[in-house]
Parts: sequence; C-alpha cells; structure tokens
Amino acid sequence: MVSVAEMPEITSPIIVNQPEPIPKSEIERGMIEIEQLDFKYGAHQVLHDVTLSIPARAVTAFIGPSGCGKTTLLRCLNRMNDLIDSAHITRGSIRIEGIDINAPGVDVVDLRRRVGMVFQKSNPFPKSIFDNVAYGLRIAGVTKRTLIDEAVEKSLRSSALWEEVKDRLHVSGYGLSGGQQQRLCIARALAVEPEIVLMDEPCSALDPIATAKVEELIRQLKEQYTIVIVTHNMQQAGRCSDHTAFFYLGRLIEFDGTAKIFSNPAQRQTEEYITGRFG
Amino acid sequence: MTFPRMLPPMEGVADPRTLIPARTSSRRAQAALEQGIKAFFGGNALVAVIVLALITIFLFREGFGFFGQNLANLRLYRQAGLEYVDIIRGVSAKHEALSRSLSEIRLREVRTMEKRNAPVEEINAALAPFDQFATAFSDTAENLHGIVSDLTDQASALKEALFARAELLAQRNQLEHSAAQAAAAKIIVPEVDRTAALASLREGSANFESVSAEMTAQLYSLLAQAPPLPDPAAQKAFEQWKTRTREYLAGLPAASEKLRTWSPDAPIPWYRSISSFLFGREWVTASFWQDWYGIIPLLVGSILVSIVALIIAVPLGVASAVYVSEIASSHEKRLIKPYIEFISAIPSVVLGFFGIAVVGQAVRTASQSSFFKWVSFFPISERLNIFTAGCLLALMAVPTIFTLSEDALRNVPRGFKEASYALGANRLQTIGRVLVPASLSGIVSAVLLGLGRVIGETMVVLLCAGNRIAIPDFTQGLGSIFQPVHTMTGIIAQEMGEVVRGSTHYRALFMVGLVLFTITLGINYLAQKFVTRYRMSIG
Amino acid sequence: MIAIASNSRRVRRIEGVIFWLLRLATYFILACATYIFLDIGIKGSRTVFTSTPPFINLPFLTEPPQTLYVFAYEGKKMTLSDRQFRQWKVEHAGTEVEASSIAYSAGGIWPCIVGTALLVIGSMALALGIGISSAIYLSEYSRNGRLIRLVRIAILNLAGVPSIVFGLFGFGLFVIFFGWNVSLIAGWFTLGLMVLPAIITASEESLRAVPQGLREGSLALGASKWQTIRKNVLPYAMPGILTSSILGIARVAGETAPIMFTAAYAMKDEMPWQVAHWTDFFFQGVMALPYHIYVVSSKIPQNEYTERVQYGSAFVFLFLVMLIALTSIVLRERSRSRLSW
Repeated sequence: MVSVAEMPEITSPIIVNQPEPIPKSEIERGMIEIEQLDFKYGAHQVLHDVTLSIPARAVTAFIGPSGCGKTTLLRCLNRMNDLIDSAHITRGSIRIEGIDINAPGVDVVDLRRRVGMVFQKSNPFPKSIFDNVAYGLRIAGVTKRTLIDEAVEKSLRSSALWEEVKDRLHVSGYGLSGGQQQRLCIARALAVEPEIVLMDEPCSALDPIATAKVEELIRQLKEQYTIVIVTHNMQQAGRCSDHTAFFYLGRLIEFDGTAKIFSNPAQRQTEEYITGRFG
Repeated sequence: MTFPRMLPPMEGVADPRTLIPARTSSRRAQAALEQGIKAFFGGNALVAVIVLALITIFLFREGFGFFGQNLANLRLYRQAGLEYVDIIRGVSAKHEALSRSLSEIRLREVRTMEKRNAPVEEINAALAPFDQFATAFSDTAENLHGIVSDLTDQASALKEALFARAELLAQRNQLEHSAAQAAAAKIIVPEVDRTAALASLREGSANFESVSAEMTAQLYSLLAQAPPLPDPAAQKAFEQWKTRTREYLAGLPAASEKLRTWSPDAPIPWYRSISSFLFGREWVTASFWQDWYGIIPLLVGSILVSIVALIIAVPLGVASAVYVSEIASSHEKRLIKPYIEFISAIPSVVLGFFGIAVVGQAVRTASQSSFFKWVSFFPISERLNIFTAGCLLALMAVPTIFTLSEDALRNVPRGFKEASYALGANRLQTIGRVLVPASLSGIVSAVLLGLGRVIGETMVVLLCAGNRIAIPDFTQGLGSIFQPVHTMTGIIAQEMGEVVRGSTHYRALFMVGLVLFTITLGINYLAQKFVTRYRMSIG
Repeated sequence: MIAIASNSRRVRRIEGVIFWLLRLATYFILACATYIFLDIGIKGSRTVFTSTPPFINLPFLTEPPQTLYVFAYEGKKMTLSDRQFRQWKVEHAGTEVEASSIAYSAGGIWPCIVGTALLVIGSMALALGIGISSAIYLSEYSRNGRLIRLVRIAILNLAGVPSIVFGLFGFGLFVIFFGWNVSLIAGWFTLGLMVLPAIITASEESLRAVPQGLREGSLALGASKWQTIRKNVLPYAMPGILTSSILGIARVAGETAPIMFTAAYAMKDEMPWQVAHWTDFFFQGVMALPYHIYVVSSKIPQNEYTERVQYGSAFVFLFLVMLIALTSIVLRERSRSRLSW
C-alpha cells in the first residue's frame, strides 16, 4: 500500500522529458530472451528446446497450427501458467531485461504488472468502463482520484476507445460491442503501464472491422511497447508484425523478419504452412 | 522480492514509476499476508476432513465398547442359567401361542355368524363346546407356567448377584491399578455360590419331564375329543391348529434333551457378540430378565419404510421431472420448479406432526371404508404404520429426486434431441428413447440420493412409523406394510436421551448409528459412481 | 403414406395420454404439498390470529408454554392455564374441583422462538465462516493434490450423513467428551457442522461460476491472488453464496434430530438471557420450536385442547421456515436472470 505522499507528482501524463543517453548495453528495455525452454503439462511435453530473442519495441507474431505451443509460450512470459496445475518449465530460462523471471526471488505480481496481457476471449470485468481501466491502478495502491482519471483517459485514448466511450464511462463494460470490449481490455492492460504486452489471438472473436481497428492499434502501440501476439491468422501476422516465429509441434521452426518469413522462408515446413498446405 | 528495474527510463516512454512505484518492503509484508490468508483458508478446508474423521472416531469410540459389554452380557445370560430357563420358557410360550390361535379361530367363527345376523346368545351356545375345549387346553400348561415363574425368580436372583459381584470386582481392580490398595482391600467381594444356585435351578426343572409327559397325555386325549365347528373355513383353520399342536407335542422331548445337555460353563465365542447384534432378531432393552441388542427389527423397519417411500416417490419424482423439463410450458416451469424445491424445505417434524394429526387417521378411515372391503388385510388396526410413514417420507424424497432428475434431463446435450427429431421421432419417442436413456444414470443417482435422505430421516419415522420394535409379520403379504415398526434413526432419537452413559445400551445405540452411517456412506458412494457414469454418457 | 398417417394419429393419441399422466403426477405432488400448507395454515391460524384487533394472538407468541387445566365448575367447562388456575383457586378458596391437567397446552411458544433464533444465528455464523473460507481455499488456492481430493470426498460424503448421526456425534463429542452438557454451544457446533458441507459445496459452486477470464485478467494486471479474489471474484460470487446460505438457514432451523440431545430442553422456565454469569449463556440448554412440536405432537394426547398449541406451533414454525426458504428461492431466481456470463 502506497500513500499518496510517496507518489511522485507528474505534470505530463505521457512524456517525461529527461533526455538521457541510452546505454549501449546488450540489455534493452522490454526485450525478452528465451533459452532452451522445455515445458510440460504433466507428462506431456508441449515445448521443446525453444530459444528465441524477442526484440524490444516491435511486434513479434507467434504463428503455427493449433496445439503447437505458441499460446503456452506466451503464457510463460508472464508466468500465467503458474495458475495451471501440473504445468511447469522443465529446462531452460526466460529472461526479461536480463532477469530470469522464474528465479525464486522474483515477485510474480510485479512481473505481471510489467508484462500485460490481452486474452483471446475479451474478459472485461463486470464493472463500469472506468472501473475496468482503473482496476489495475487501484490494485497497485494508487488512490489519488486525479491520477486515476488521467491514466484512464490516457489508456482509453491509446487504445482508440476514448472517443467512443467518453460519454458513458460509468456504464458496464458488458454493454460494449465485441471489438470495443477487446479494446477495453487492451486499455486496461495499458493503464498499469507495462513494458511488454502479450496478446493471445486478440482478434479471433472479432469481425473484420473490429479486427482492423485492433490491428491499427497494435501498430501504434509498438512505438512504446514490446508486443508479442499469437495469431492463427496469417494475414494478420503479415499486416502488423515486424518479426514472426513459426512453431510446429512444440518446436520453434523459424524466426525471422516477417517479410522474410512470408516471402522467402528458410524451412520447408514454414513454407508449407504459410502457403496453406497444412495447418 | 522485487523484480528489479535494470534501466533508466527512456525517452518518449512513460516511466511506470511515475504512477506505480516498484514494490517495496511493505509489499513483502503483503506477500507474507497472502501466505497467511492462504493458510487460513486451507486450515478451514481441513475442518471438513477433521469432522468426518471425528464423526467416525466418535461413533467407533463410543460404539466399539459395545461388543465387549454385549459379550459379557451374553456370558452372564448363560452362566446365571437364564438361557436354561428360557428353554423351558420357550415351551410354555409356544403353548400360549397355540392358546391365542384358538381365540383367533373363535373370533373368526363369531364374525361369520354375525354376518348371518345370529343373536349373541345363539353364538355363545353354538361355541360352548369349543370354549370348553379352549379352557381345558390352556389349563394343561398350568404346571409348566409354575415351573417357569419359579425358575425365573431363581435365575434372576443369581444374575443379580453375579452382576453385582462383577461390578465390585471391576471397582477393586480399578483401585488396585491406581495403587489405592487400602481402598481396594476395603471392597469386599461376596462369593456367589453359583454351583448351588444352578443345582437348585436344575432341581426345580427336574420335574419338567414329568410335567411335560403329563401335559402330552392330557393334550392327546383333548385332541381326540375336539368339538367340530360349524363354519368350514374356521374348521379348516382348526384342523391346521391341531396339526401344529401335534408338532408341538412331538417337539417336547427335544426340549428335555436340550435341558439335559445344557451346561452353564460352555464357552461363548467372541463373534457371538457381533453376530447377535448384526443378525439378532430381538431388540429388548431395560428388561428385568435379559437385554437383547439385535439390529434386524430396526433395519427391516428402516428398509421397509424406505421401500414404501421410494415406490411412491420415484414414479412421481421422475414423471414430474420429465414433465417439467420436456413438456411443461415455460410458465408452468417457472411455477412448478420453485414450488417443488419449496417442498424440500418443509421441516421434517412438521411433516411428522401432519402425519400424526391427519394422514394416519385418514389411512385408517380409508381402510375402514366399504370401498376397500375387498382388501383382505383391511381394516387396519394401527393408524401409525409403515405406510403412513412411507407416504410422508415420499414427499420428502420427491424434491430430491425431482431436482436432480430434472438437472440430468436438462443437461442432455441438445444435439441428441435434435438428431432424434430430425429423424422424424415425436416428442414421446424422443423422451422415451433418447432423453431418458441418456440421463438414466443421472436419474438413478437422484433416486439413490433420495433413498439416502429417506433412510436417514428421523422425525417422520419417529412420529409416524408406530414405534413397535418387531419384525413385521410377512405372512400377511402386502398387509405387512400396514404394521407399525421401529427404525434405526427412530430408536436412536427415542432412547438416546434416557440411557445411562457408557452402558451396553448406550453403546448399542452408537453401533446403530455406525451402521446407519455406513449405509448412507455406501449409498452416497454409489450415487457418485452413477453421476460419473452420467457425465460420461452425455459426453 | 396413408398407413403412416393413421399410425401417427394413434401414436399421437398415446403421446397425449402419457403426457396427461405425467402432468397428473406433477400436479398431484403440488396438490399434496398445498394440502399440507392449507391444513396447517387454516387450523394454525385459528390459534395465531384472532378476530378482534390486533388480529394476532400476541399471548401465544409472547408467553412461555404452560399446563392447561380443564374442569367443570357450576355446570360450565373451564379451561385455564397454570397461572390462571392458581389465581382462580385463590379467588374460589374452599371450592374443590377435579381438574385434569394437560401439559404444554396453554400459554405460548415465545421461549421456543427465541431458542430457535439463537441456535440458527450461532450455527450459521460458524458454518458460514468456516464454509466460505473452505470454499475459497478449494476453488481458488488448492491444487488437485491427494489431500484436496480427500477433502472433496469428505465433503461430498458428509453432505449425505443423516442428521441423527450428527446428533449422535455432537452428543458424543461436545456433550460428553468436552463436557459441555446439553447446551446452546453444543447445539451450535452440531448444527453448524451438519450444514457445513452444503455451504461449502454451494459456495464453491458460486465461486466456480465466476469465469476464469476475470481471474486471469486481474492477475495479468498485477493483482495479487488475494486482491483478485477480494475484488474480482468474491463480489460476483457473493449473491450465489448468500442465497444458498439462506437455504442453509432453513435447514438448520428445521432440523430436530441433531438438537434433541445436544441443545434442546422440553421445558425451561427461564429465558436464555436470565443467566447468573455471562458464560452460562453458552452452556445452557434452550427450548426450540422443532423440538417443542415433537414434544407436543408425541407426548400429549390428540384432542380438542391440545390442537390449539399443536397446530399453532406447527403453523408458526412452518411459516418462519418457509419464509426463509422463499426468500432464498426468490433471490436465486432473480440473480439467475440477472447474472449471466
């Protein structure tokens, strides 16, 4: 619990003007390194020896046929798999900004705040739109009304929802359309100012227009956030990602720039999948 | 515990610290709190296991002493010669039973004569020879009864003395164990001359053989000059009675033989204590002579009451479940479902009271009406009987069966139903051939849970089952469900308040509770099995 | 085609008949229940209500039970309660009357109402506290280990244990082993433990009905487990939990067997608050409505004098329990239509 007095005052909600040179360290803010990761559900191994470096402030797409482990890998990144009994990493490590997130001293609550997540099925809380977005802040102990108001507006603007909902912030989030609900979930995730946003097939339940809006949003967000998106939709990966990782049967088959993967994949399996010969 | 921040904020990106500070040590306390909360909830969840364990432990703790005490009880029965006396008593009791049958035959004769509107004097005159015969018959056992009552007194006295001695011995042992030798020595344990007492017992019965021989002779001559009866049906019953009497007389030497070979010191094996409980056909408590703790009459009572209740409740419950889930309009549904659930909230004691005040009387009145004249066992004599209790218990079981069956029917995947309709089946065919079979194991589990509720119900049976501790007379066929019984739950409720703590009787009641507990656990287990099967069958 | 048509007409007739039979069975159940409600309602309201203002028989609701004296005096039949009879004797000193006494048949049922209320409050507080906590643990914290399986099996089986066995258990553990004797606190624990499995099951069901997405969404925002439960699970499960607890109240209030030898007295002169020391409050037996009904319907004869108290108590009791049950059912129907995920 943090008292208001401890809270640093800010004048501008977005930009903190503090031009400092970025150190030329190999560790970059928001970067994720996965090394030789094995993952099991009980006795069933779903990830085999995955090694992958996800660049910061870019959109990385995970593609592959159903059951290839891409969602599992995504959920490893904010340790959401902790919630599932009998699911565990058996080998390898995941480092975010150089810190092994599975190390014993790591505070998983803090990790999750910094690695936001948007789920396949939009899951707004049965609260008002405002309370949905403010939830994460209140949980973190932010009590000052003005701070929350600002953050909510900022997040709703970032998720391109502000104009649509600004007059009805206090009605239930359930009243929104599917696409709006999903964008509300994105806004909710952004409100706690994560560095990384994980998206698990965010558009699978949306119609084409809503999908287009969310995709547009994703393209904008990569300016500030590292985005990892799992998708079934090849076009979507092509449209909005910078890098693409192709998974098959729990293995990372190929990882490269999206343009390269889609035009000239190195692996035969990738090509077959992309051209729609299986999957 | 903090997830460390490695880099300073970057240009153009809001520093998360601006809004939410990184976790500090106060958060560490919070993490500890989280652990504490988890432990607290977990501890509460353990309560359920602990309670189940405690229930089992306490039923066993209080109940298992029963077997030891009951064994002592049975041994005393033999050592004090009560068993010996009971052999003779058995002979005399059979004689009395025959005597009673004679009066029943007389009653039947009187009824047929009354139907012919014969005046009382005529009836009495016609039956005078028969009455004479009956009186002569019961007189023949005079000497036998004398022996029994003498010996009863003697054996009782011996039992009392032996019992008192055993108590004192136990007291002294306890004192010796607690090293109070002086106090222990003060307790004088009187010697009981068992051999002398038993010898006098045998002496008193020595003339049993002569008495029985004399009685045999008298009875044979009586049988030879038995008067005929005018009514053919009564005459037939009388003939049957004569055969039974001859069988009785033929059995007398066997009784004498038993008396000769009986030994007070023959050992009673330990398992008799268990078998006499589980298979004993008598539950007699607080008796001056000998207590018997046989669960059979109670078990049979419980089972009969439950069977009657289920026979009524299952068709009604399942039919209404089918009706509500498949046929009723949504209006009806909204009314019927809550109403039937509402029934399940009627307190059992109110139902029991209703049974006493209304149902019992109604059943008896109905049985007396001319409409039911053709039923052989009507009119009934007891208004509180198995049937009365069963009817009320059915009303308690219906909501359980209804609610769970309706759930099972409703949860059958819609695809099953649609596939059936698509093949041109009508609603009845779809219900009968698709829905009910698919949810059958769910319905069976509902019935089992209904049975569990009925067999464990206390107040209704305590108030309405008649509370006569006896196995119903099954020779009456269906009529046996109009006899009063006592049940396992009823006996606990009725007798628990009055027993001496730690006595054999007290422990016997705990044993009954244990049996009840085991039975309901078994029923529950079966019901769960069926639920699992139901889930598999609907995929 | 014609053959099929005629056949289908016959089939339809059979269908109609069977549907009517099913309907008959359903309405037969409703009719039986309605008859019980009406019988007790009508006969009971003769006791509970009066034809003159204030229309409610206040003495019946506010007085303790008393013995009824019936005797003939100067050609009139007198029915007086214990207190009235003593007063009458003082007034008519010297007249000898032969009065027949009928226990419990005069006065009211106030101590029974109070006792039942005390029993319900205590045992529900106990059961709700432990029950909801256990449910939270089972649904939110536990992993499917062997111990948890054991807990679940225990709960499932406990739910089917007959109330009289709980009574025996309470008698063995609380009354005898702990030496609490027949007391309010022994009754609380016995009833509380009896209703516990139902509360745990219902609460867990309500908690599980909250979609997993809400939990994940909250956790993904950096909420701790307890924050998630407190802010994003419990509020949505609470209506369900409370509704089923109300049904638990109806059950606790309605049971007789468990309190017969753990908490209930057939007759007690003092009210529960008339105790010498405050701790005695917990260790006193109380009168309770269900037990009172058992006593008046089995221990005294059925006649015109006893009907008043028998039907009156049954009516009041049935009314209270049904009111609780009705509240629960109405609340549930309402929340069912409101909350759907």
